[in-house]
Amino acid sequence: MESSRPVVIKHTPERLDFRQARNFWREIQPLITSDRPQLVFDMSSVKHLDMAGVDMLLQCITEVMKRDGDLKLAAVSPEAWVILEITHTDRFFEIYETPSDAMRSFSRFLPEAMRRQPFNTPPADSRPEDKSGVAA
Amino acid sequence: MDVRAILLLGPSADPTAPPAPEGVPLALLDVLGRPLLTRVADQLKAFGVSQLAAVADVGPSATPFVPPALRQNLTWLPAPGAALWRTAQELFSKFAHNGADLVLALRLSAYYELDYERLIQFHLDRNARVTAATDGAGAILGAFVISASRRNDAAFLLRHSLLKSRTPLVLYPFSGYSRRLTALADLRQLAVDAFCGRSQITPQGEAIKPGVWVAPGARIHRGARVLSPAFIGRYARVRAGALITRCAALEHHTEVGRGTVVEDATVLPYTKLGNALDVAHAVVGFGKVASLRRGVEVEISDSKLVGSVLSAPLRAWQQMLSLLAYLPLEFARGLLGRSAPSETPSFPLAVSSPARALSATDSLPAATDRAVSNFR
Repeated sequence: MESSRPVVIKHTPERLDFRQARNFWREIQPLITSDRPQLVFDMSSVKHLDMAGVDMLLQCITEVMKRDGDLKLAAVSPEAWVILEITHTDRFFEIYETPSDAMRSFSRFLPEAMRRQPFNTPPADSRPEDKSGVAA
Repeated sequence: MDVRAILLLGPSADPTAPPAPEGVPLALLDVLGRPLLTRVADQLKAFGVSQLAAVADVGPSATPFVPPALRQNLTWLPAPGAALWRTAQELFSKFAHNGADLVLALRLSAYYELDYERLIQFHLDRNARVTAATDGAGAILGAFVISASRRNDAAFLLRHSLLKSRTPLVLYPFSGYSRRLTALADLRQLAVDAFCGRSQITPQGEAIKPGVWVAPGARIHRGARVLSPAFIGRYARVRAGALITRCAALEHHTEVGRGTVVEDATVLPYTKLGNALDVAHAVVGFGKVASLRRGVEVEISDSKLVGSVLSAPLRAWQQMLSLLAYLPLEFARGLLGRSAPSETPSFPLAVSSPARALSATDSLPAATDRAVSNFR
């Protein structure tokens, strides 16, 4: 499945505290309010993230989802990772190692996380074909 | 035989190690209810050391971390910066002058469960000037036995921060439990090893059920869950809905917010965790989170996530001030015409009650009729 809509990669500032988060929110307003936005936040430079920053990220994903778009995070710095983990926020986002990985993921049908098979089930490619012809 | 000991608390011998948090040496921080310094001092007392002194490179911020009971058992000598080694030299001379036969110089940049009797016998058997204990890998642990008559050797050794010796050291191989203390993550490993019975460290509290120790003064809400192995320190507070599990250790005067999960983590003294957090595989304290999984220490300035608990006198002062300020503040609010924030409506009540447009004075049919007549 190919997507013709543009994917916008946005670098987040080094500090995502109340003031910076508010400025960043204003900055990305035009991107978020577009039709079906596809956004990637490159968080490699984030050194300081607090609750205001986390709140802003959640607000972003809420607004993007409302418009049938998606917001993904990429290259999350260890400092930001720790905060996302302790606030349980990491589970709301698809997180990729690099912005290009995140960008590529928009043109795939399933996100990478959903492709992973639980436990020891063989991957879909190696499974024998269902010959019964009955659709699930 | 008169054996005396000098305990040295200073910066780590490893120059690449991160600095001590807020200038408090790791040996002064609690591990399952007691600081390592107290544990080592108790071991030495049990062995029969006649006099103990601790020389510490600490600032005033470390004062609350020194237990008052500890000061009664040993001589506490704060010596910031370069004064640490000079003070240690002077102390050695004093001990030697006062009739000590042997002096133990223990640098607490590692925790080790040495058998001091064997170490001293080893030193005497070899007729050594200075004996150093080494770990399984042959690295020097930081525990030295120095013959009190060898003042020059001792002075040289202490002048060089226990890193160089004037004469070849006699090495005592130690195969027991030891762990270097370079970062906050090492405290976590010490706690896990204690829970697993790998070391002699025992939790300082009452076992309320198998594997769960609770120290006096701790308050656990009945809506909170504590699963073994876990340790709740003195005056710690666990709020409703919190979950403490998998070798979690809450040291004294800590507070865990509502719905917060503490899993395989150590919460250092005077630390407050916010509500609904997930603290796993980490050491939290001094406004920092040291993530063991990511190997990174992150400073957190947001008190909603990680804050600090005030000590009891400060808390009392704060409460008294807020009580005194209550009436004047209310009076000022009244003068400025600020009303109290309106009560948040409850969700079930809002759902069950009719909307304002459909209230009794303006029923739906009447409102519709009026709208239709206006339209005509």
